[in-house]
Amino acid sequence: MSTSLKEQAKRASSEQALTSSECELKLTVDTIPAMAWSARPDGSGEFFNQHYLDYVGLSLEQVRDWGWTAALHPDDRDDLVLTWQRIRTSEQLGEGEVRLRRHDGEYRWFLFRASPVRDESGRLVKWYGINIDITERKLALECLQSNQELLDLAQKSAGAMAFDWYIQQEINSWSPEQEALFGLAPGTFDGTYKTWKKMMYAPDWPTVVDAIRHAHDTGKVTAEYRVVWPDGSLHWLSTNGRMFFDEAGEPLRMVGFTSDVTRRKNVEEELRRSEAFLTQAQHLSRTGSFSWRVAADEITWSEQLYRIYELEPDLPVTLELIRTRVHPEDVTLYEKMLTQARNGSDDFEWQYRLLMPDHSIKYLHAVARATRDQSGQLEYIAAVQDVTSRRLSQEALDKARLELAHVARVMSLGALTASIAHEVNQPLSGIITNANTCRRMLEADPPNVDGARETVRRTIRDGHRAADVITRLRALFSKKDAAAELVDLNDATLEVIALSRCELEGSGVIPQMELAEDLPLVTGDRVQLQQVILNLLRNASDAMNGVQDRPRQVTIRTDRDESDQVRLSVKDAGTGFEPENLNKLFEAFYTTKSEGMGIGLSVSRSIIENHRGRLWATPNDGGGTTFSFSIPGVEGSVAGAESRDGIAVKDQKPTARSV
Amino acid sequence: MVNGPLISVVDDDESVRESLPDLLKEFGFSARAFSSAEEFLTSRYLSETKCLILDVAMPGLSGPDLQQELKRRQQDIPIVFITAHHDEHVRPRLIEQGAVECLFKPFSDSDLLEALNSALRQS
Repeated sequence: MSTSLKEQAKRASSEQALTSSECELKLTVDTIPAMAWSARPDGSGEFFNQHYLDYVGLSLEQVRDWGWTAALHPDDRDDLVLTWQRIRTSEQLGEGEVRLRRHDGEYRWFLFRASPVRDESGRLVKWYGINIDITERKLALECLQSNQELLDLAQKSAGAMAFDWYIQQEINSWSPEQEALFGLAPGTFDGTYKTWKKMMYAPDWPTVVDAIRHAHDTGKVTAEYRVVWPDGSLHWLSTNGRMFFDEAGEPLRMVGFTSDVTRRKNVEEELRRSEAFLTQAQHLSRTGSFSWRVAADEITWSEQLYRIYELEPDLPVTLELIRTRVHPEDVTLYEKMLTQARNGSDDFEWQYRLLMPDHSIKYLHAVARATRDQSGQLEYIAAVQDVTSRRLSQEALDKARLELAHVARVMSLGALTASIAHEVNQPLSGIITNANTCRRMLEADPPNVDGARETVRRTIRDGHRAADVITRLRALFSKKDAAAELVDLNDATLEVIALSRCELEGSGVIPQMELAEDLPLVTGDRVQLQQVILNLLRNASDAMNGVQDRPRQVTIRTDRDESDQVRLSVKDAGTGFEPENLNKLFEAFYTTKSEGMGIGLSVSRSIIENHRGRLWATPNDGGGTTFSFSIPGVEGSVAGAESRDGIAVKDQKPTARSV
Repeated sequence: MVNGPLISVVDDDESVRESLPDLLKEFGFSARAFSSAEEFLTSRYLSETKCLILDVAMPGLSGPDLQQELKRRQQDIPIVFITAHHDEHVRPRLIEQGAVECLFKPFSDSDLLEALNSALRQS
């Protein structure tokens, strides 16, 4: 019995040692910051560490065996049971995810790992396992997933594809959407840099290289380039992103967005082309354009308009700036036009001159259209054409025509005079010769009375001959055999105005029409009557030659006078005449003009008198003179009130349009 | 004074043809009148004519034309031109071409006489 004590002591000390190492282990297991457990081969729980118990808020007795399933999330329970069974059957290391209820009722995600334990014979005797809290990770993953979904949605809406490309890796996989950007069928991109480069449109490769170089310095990638699709078509792509380089400075990874911007590029190109086209067209046609927001006086000019006005292209345009260029004589018109434009909202047309710094004159023709912008504000869109060369050549033409007419007049007068001289000098010569002969014959000794008688007879005959010449010439001059037709005086007047428009404008004369609507027709020679009207118009224009302080306005008026005759008056704003000279004006060759012949009024009066009418002049109350003629109208006829050349003819109201 | 030197008058105007020869006869010349240069050229009085009073503007051959033609034929007849056209450029040109004088119608008898005497002195 002495050895049992030693054995007892030994057993006790090894039991003690075991207990203390068991305690140490238990302490360790209870302290590690993870949930640890062990299970029997049948799946029931054998041991749960303190962490586990603390988490679930249950006691060991409560979780032991199958009590631990109470902490499983109801939705995950079935799955867990199946997974646990599968792991046990496989007898291999396994894992799964499950939600466990915390002591406060909240569920958290855990990753559990179970590891099999075998005895010496290899038989599975126990499972050891740990649970790791992956709640944050799970949430982050969900967040990421929803972010990804948002991103996908955003990409699809923007038509842009996100990419993350590891450049140096031999194989990269692209999403079908990325492949679509390059016109590739899904799954056909081999993922290599080489293939990618081949798809680049060769002329744009330098751009891409530049962008990569730029990315080297800044890390940012931004490029627009074309790629060639397998069908050969070209498409514009726009890439924005970031590039990462390795230690050797080689591109390592590129992350960003790419979108197909072909449509935008095409639209941009179209726009650029049409702008260039417009600019070129403006340049060729010498037309500039401008817009004018009336309320704010915001003015925008096209490049060509700056050129026309000879101003620096970036100068902000104001009404004052424009005024500095407007010809001093047209400034009043300019102001008037502005006022009209501000108040009304009608389209308008305006012709005016510019006085350039080098004192040259430009003629401009502006056409403006009134529109309302989006906020209902009045805005004018206008085109302005430099018509100087046209105007100058028109003026040169008119001047040449006038000169020609003048020369023709002079010449014809000269020719007339020569003709008169020739016709008259012949009989005169005869008369004088005969008279000389007569004298000598009578002085002879004896007087040759028969001879003298003969010379006298011839003298008388030649005298008559001379008188006949004069009569014949006067008849030729006054054209007694004038044409007789029905004439619409309004129409004839408008024609005269239209024909002399340039001449009048050149003299700064503004014709104002007051043509009666119910004017009867007259009988006569239309051309002759127009010659009279033209003569009166020209006289009126000449009378206002020196006028600077008031508008050079000439008013042409048709109406019926008191005795129902058709009357036409031309009223000027000139300096007028002395009353005693008024009648003298109609005498042939009377003129107060420094040049030219006053033959006009004399002939005009002749013509009117031939039409059984009369022509007279009256001084105006406010200065200037009114020349009028009246001729009998045809009963029962009415002149038409048509419009010609954009000058509307209304009742008796003046239609003040700048002509 | 019968048969004074023959002065030929060529003018298409009737009054001149009627009146001038009488005046010439009063002056003491012989005178004949022709209505055209052609008539004068084909008449038998051509060689007898001591002086020609010639109208400038005539239908057909004009006065200057006749002057040229006479030169061509080497008929040296002194010419006094008369004209109803008072063109200052005409006279110097005609005189340069060899005319004795160019008178504008109507002319005075003394001017005519002076011109004729001057012409006859030449031949």
